[in-house]
Amino acid sequence: MSAGISFPEALAAWAAAAPAPERDCTLPVPELLKIFHPDHRAGGMVTLAAGASAGTACPVELAALLQSDALLEDVDLAGTHILDADVLILGGGGAGCVAALAAARAGARVLIAAKLRLGDGNTVMAEGGIQAAIGAEDSLQRHFEDTLRAGHFAADKAVVAALVEDGPDAIRWLIQQGMSFDLTDERQRMGGTLLRKKPGGATAARLLSYRDFTGLEMMRALREAVLLQPGIAVLDRHPAVELLTDDRGRCGGAVLQDLGRGRLVLARAGATVLATGGAGRLHLAGFPTSNHYGATADGLVLAYRAGARLREMDSFQYHPTGIAWPGHLEGMLVSEAARSAGARLINGRGERFVAELAPRDVVASAMLREMVEGRGIVRDGQLGLFLDTPSLEREQPGILQKRLQTLSHLAHRAGIDPAGEPFMVRPTLHYQNGGVAIDSRARTSLPGLLAAGEVTGGLHGRNRMMGNALLELVVFGRRAGAMAAVDARQERPRNLGLNHLAGWRRGLLAAGLGLEGKGPLLFPSYGNITAAALKGRAA
Amino acid sequence: MGEARAGEGTVDVVFDGHVIAANQGVSLLQAWIAAGLPLTENAGCMGQGVCGACRVLVRRPGERLAGTALACETKAEAGMQVSFVDHFPARRPHRYALESLTDSWSIAEQIDTVFPEAKHCRHCSGCDRACPKGIPVQRMVNLAAEGQVFAAAELFDACVMCNLCVAACPEHIDPAHLGQFTRRMHAALTLRPADLMQRLRQIEAGEQRIDPEAPGTYPPAHA
Repeated sequence: MSAGISFPEALAAWAAAAPAPERDCTLPVPELLKIFHPDHRAGGMVTLAAGASAGTACPVELAALLQSDALLEDVDLAGTHILDADVLILGGGGAGCVAALAAARAGARVLIAAKLRLGDGNTVMAEGGIQAAIGAEDSLQRHFEDTLRAGHFAADKAVVAALVEDGPDAIRWLIQQGMSFDLTDERQRMGGTLLRKKPGGATAARLLSYRDFTGLEMMRALREAVLLQPGIAVLDRHPAVELLTDDRGRCGGAVLQDLGRGRLVLARAGATVLATGGAGRLHLAGFPTSNHYGATADGLVLAYRAGARLREMDSFQYHPTGIAWPGHLEGMLVSEAARSAGARLINGRGERFVAELAPRDVVASAMLREMVEGRGIVRDGQLGLFLDTPSLEREQPGILQKRLQTLSHLAHRAGIDPAGEPFMVRPTLHYQNGGVAIDSRARTSLPGLLAAGEVTGGLHGRNRMMGNALLELVVFGRRAGAMAAVDARQERPRNLGLNHLAGWRRGLLAAGLGLEGKGPLLFPSYGNITAAALKGRAA
Repeated sequence: MGEARAGEGTVDVVFDGHVIAANQGVSLLQAWIAAGLPLTENAGCMGQGVCGACRVLVRRPGERLAGTALACETKAEAGMQVSFVDHFPARRPHRYALESLTDSWSIAEQIDTVFPEAKHCRHCSGCDRACPKGIPVQRMVNLAAEGQVFAAAELFDACVMCNLCVAACPEHIDPAHLGQFTRRMHAALTLRPADLMQRLRQIEAGEQRIDPEAPGTYPPAHA
């Protein structure tokens, strides 16, 4: 995929045609997805041979980790420092913080273990917004049906219903934690109406936001709330490297790697919440990713190994508008807010080629088609397409400065004026649609383990709508935290250890997979450090 | 990811004691990775500039003092001396419970009760210089101490929680947390959208039930 139209030629074609007239995609959607969506690329998927979801499809890169052997043996736990809590939360992003708040407020003693620093996950990077059906013309039913349809009817209806029903209350809860939202008229703070935008694939304007850094605004409030909440202890730089299970197979905490001191820590708990996020840093099919540095599928690996079922693990979301040029900004995103506001996608001939607000999988596939079929734009060896910000600014003067600040900031770093020159964009690995299967109470199939946030599966079916990820982490974070506090009052796990590993290793060998591969990964390959090396490194 | 590109020039940077040849145009964080150095902390969003994890001290040739910056947003320049800065949590948390701030007539007193140091600002501008986002931090501190909550909150709109101002303040004012206090107060005490409240009332009255078997919950029939 490198042949395309040169940048100067494409720029001339764009300038001659701008604003380009609307043109629908010339392929029917199922065919478009089948041929051009990266999930369907030849050789990209394998069938899992071991574990609770054996027989289902999964990307090659992820399968190697899911079907890997543990970094630890029983003997590694001898003499290990032990911490006790009612509820252990793995992951310090949005879902982890919400779950911690909910559990602590329900009376539990909570321990959060984060691989990086509390808050430094994908949540803080979210730009577009959060869905909640609050418009008079909108309804919970419409949000429910829109989510199912966008996910190609593969989602779990009970889980989606829980998501949608809790939506408005989740917004109230966020405001109570001190998060702001944009209003249609900033003077009308008491009364007034929330500013609503229409997310791709929706039938109503339902996307609530705070400027174009909704996730940052959310994470600031959540992080502060967690730091001030009595009953929560935070361990930064403590990635989980294995779950602890008891002799009945129930999860009772996790083994953490204390990166600062170079030692292991056992965190025992009555209930454990998995909130470890996604897998973008596996760079499936070589795609750039918008994900934060720690998104290496650790939680999936640990939960799967201990017996939790996964679903839709073969479905990933590619955000249509990642930066394609300049190369050093690859992976950065231009928020969908730009397309919501009316920015168009243009190929090297100055033509539109897709309805820009179609669901993300459709838009991304249509873009990949343009790039594969030679209508992409080449600049300094980077292949992409135009996002027509100049026409947007001409039609709505001031919008770039007022509503799309992050975009303007990004343009400044790319060295372009977004009012005069279009952005070069390309699809970028963005979100894991599937994950650890949960029910509407956030319980996984592994007793003692709950899950919330991107690590979960069942909510988004085979394609996530914009704005449902921030909603999901709040709704299921609250449910998981509250449920974990209840579960922790039940009988505690007994005879804790690495009880699941013997059976897991037998399963790997029986499936002919061997024990050479180790997981979880913890850091991407270009982080220049492996989990095995960290384990052997004393401070 | 800052892969080496043949044919382009490189610049030498000293980063935590390592001499690194960085490709022109890459960020300091990309230069660190490309040099093969291990990265297990001081990283998060990798370039968006929103998580505040990659704090660095930077001194350029000819400068006497080092300044603070975010490594993901700062381009490598020839002769730079760079070092990662730890995360500095506040030494003592300024504790408050948002939900107990019920008397908005006494906001100024309540800010003073939680952040008594704020009124002792020395006007040294250390926080202003520390902020990688160019926030007028000291002005926010002074406004908050006067009870000007909205104005203070607005100034902290761009805060990314790097906590460099917390480390910089000699009076232990903890400006980052004071800024968040005003922002959270602003939202929690005054944001009451009518459309949201209306929908919540409908839900509580049972008027927004979901029908999981409605026609729209199934794929369109292949008729």
